Amino acid sequence: MNEYVLAAISVTLATVVSFLLEPFTGYLSIALVYLLLVVALGLRLKRGPVLTVAATSALLWNYLFIPPRLTFYIDRLEDGMMFAMFFIVAMAMGHLTGRLRRSEIAERQRERRTAALYELAHQAAFATDLDTGLGAAVGLIESVFGARAALLLRLKDHSLSRLAHPASSFALSQQEEKAAAWAFARQAHATKSAEPPQDSESLLFPLQGRTAVMGVLCVRSPSGKSFDASERELLEAFALLIGLTLEKDHVIEAFKRAEILETSERLRRALLESVSHELKTPLAAVQTGIDVLAKQIGDDERSLATIREIQLALRRQHRVINNLLEMTRIESGVIRPKVDWCDVDELIQAAIDLAGENVAHHALAIETNPSLPMVKVDQPLLEQCICNLLLNSSANSRSGSKIIIRARMDENRLILSVLDEGKGIRETDLPRIFEMFYRASDARPGGTGLGLAIVDGFVRAHGGAARAANRETGGAEFTLEIPVETMQADIVEKLA
Amino acid sequence: MSEKPAALIIDDEVQIRRLLRVVLEAEDYRVMESESGRQGLSDVALRRPDVVLLDLGLPYMDGMAVLKRLREWSRVPVLILSVRDGPEDKVAALDAGADDYVTKPFESAELLARLRAIQRRSPSSSEDAYFQAGYLAIDFNSRTVSVKGEEIKLTATEYALLKILAQHAGKVVTHKQLLREVWGPNAEEQSQYLRVYMTHLRKKIEIPDAREKLLRTESGIGYRLVLPAGKKP
Repeated sequence: MNEYVLAAISVTLATVVSFLLEPFTGYLSIALVYLLLVVALGLRLKRGPVLTVAATSALLWNYLFIPPRLTFYIDRLEDGMMFAMFFIVAMAMGHLTGRLRRSEIAERQRERRTAALYELAHQAAFATDLDTGLGAAVGLIESVFGARAALLLRLKDHSLSRLAHPASSFALSQQEEKAAAWAFARQAHATKSAEPPQDSESLLFPLQGRTAVMGVLCVRSPSGKSFDASERELLEAFALLIGLTLEKDHVIEAFKRAEILETSERLRRALLESVSHELKTPLAAVQTGIDVLAKQIGDDERSLATIREIQLALRRQHRVINNLLEMTRIESGVIRPKVDWCDVDELIQAAIDLAGENVAHHALAIETNPSLPMVKVDQPLLEQCICNLLLNSSANSRSGSKIIIRARMDENRLILSVLDEGKGIRETDLPRIFEMFYRASDARPGGTGLGLAIVDGFVRAHGGAARAANRETGGAEFTLEIPVETMQADIVEKLA
Repeated sequence: MSEKPAALIIDDEVQIRRLLRVVLEAEDYRVMESESGRQGLSDVALRRPDVVLLDLGLPYMDGMAVLKRLREWSRVPVLILSVRDGPEDKVAALDAGADDYVTKPFESAELLARLRAIQRRSPSSSEDAYFQAGYLAIDFNSRTVSVKGEEIKLTATEYALLKILAQHAGKVVTHKQLLREVWGPNAEEQSQYLRVYMTHLRKKIEIPDAREKLLRTESGIGYRLVLPAGKKP
């Protein structure tokens, strides 16, 4: 509105000047004074006031200067023509200069915006550390908008920090905090929160990266000045840029962490491999040597008996070394189940094949349901688990006795159990049976106390649990519960 | 074969080489030794062995690199000997062109059986129209399969699977290979098909109470049609 006041004052001044000039110049030249005024105002004011000035000037000129004075009546034809021309020219001038000014203002705004964004991008890209970059962003918002800014960043657990970043230039009020939390949640989870908090006095911009919301930018305007659309747009662009910068930083961090992890894992693997090599190569040489000797001896029964003893000892040593290496893998976290579709019957059969000679003198009974679905597990790991349970049961029960292998589904869990008819497990041993190197107080010599610990480790790598119990009919029962993804076989057949 | 087959051992462990030489010579092989990957490659090129035993844990140029380089220009059967016993190591070696894999320490009898299996050429349609392993017989010409002399009905897919396994009898065939050859190159990730059809195939050709199964699962790697010991098809 003050533009109209300014216009009124200018018109009044111009009229006073015109009165002073008129005696010397005549009434026609006065039109030029008014035109000058219209052009001058056109460069300063908005379109409305300028056009009002143009119309008012024309009428004033007519009323005050064109004879007969103090009437709107014009009696000479050329004066009428002059008046009409003046009116049209003044309006056109006002309109054109207004347009010129508008485009100039827009241009300047664009420039300011570009400069500010460039500045911010530059700061963000070249800041030595994140805090400096954020500080620069806050400073920039202050200098461009004359507004104060606060930043709330996303924490490691992907929730919004309650504390403003140290670079912020004001502390958030409780209301602003609530509003920020709401804005973050809405953006992050794309949910429409039940009710937005009441208007806080500041503007909130979620810092939206490419894949996640990295925080909230809170801008408080000084003295209740409100931001116009283009300023908001610029602030949004700021927020986006800050969001992207934060995200870039976050990705670099994650990448570094992953690299360190990978390097240490590679080292562990390399170490394990060289230990494996050193332990197994001599074993391979001895094994081959014994095989050669056995061939060379031919059929000297006494020597052959000795050879068989050595072979037994070798197998035992091989098993111990394998168990130790496997345990080391579990302990050092190198084990990661690689799950793939697996047929449970096939899994059980493979485990029996793996146990081989060791269960040759027991009666094996497989109890599975024909409608078992396919499950997604790491078959080699589970095969080793069942094999270890079979070895354990066969070592702890009479030859000729029965070992049951059972598989069923309970909702989305695969339940595998191995039951034997041995002497069972002592109550004191039950809680510790899966511990590393723990051997039951009445265990037979020959075990290492690692077989069951490996079972436990592999099952836990699957996110499952291993349990031991005694059967009511005597004997031990080991149960593995593993959460699995399932697929009904008939669906698969339709697919194929 | 009239003359002795030549076997090349590529291993940096002198003890293993010496002992393997004894084992192989007892089986009528001509034995050559290389103590490094680089030397092994030039020995394969110049001395033309009939079969190669390759250790993966070689210094400088490891066994996998030797295998990949070798497969660029030679189709000689390769048996991997390694202390690495993880399924991913075995699959990587088999995918890179190894014919089979034995982990150290190994039983000599098993090693020799694997060597024999990988030296047999795959039967083409013209020769070996008939296959037998224990109680299982396949006539490739009439596409008939019989168990203990009785003909059994197989679906086209089951027959295709069995045929591939029989052609590579005694050798391990990887999941990927089976999927590719039966369902085409786009099915390499569709492991569930293979599991279902192998289950069906087992039900039809295995004897329920037999301890020794014909179709052996190599968990995480593939399947092997086992040839009964002492029988050479």
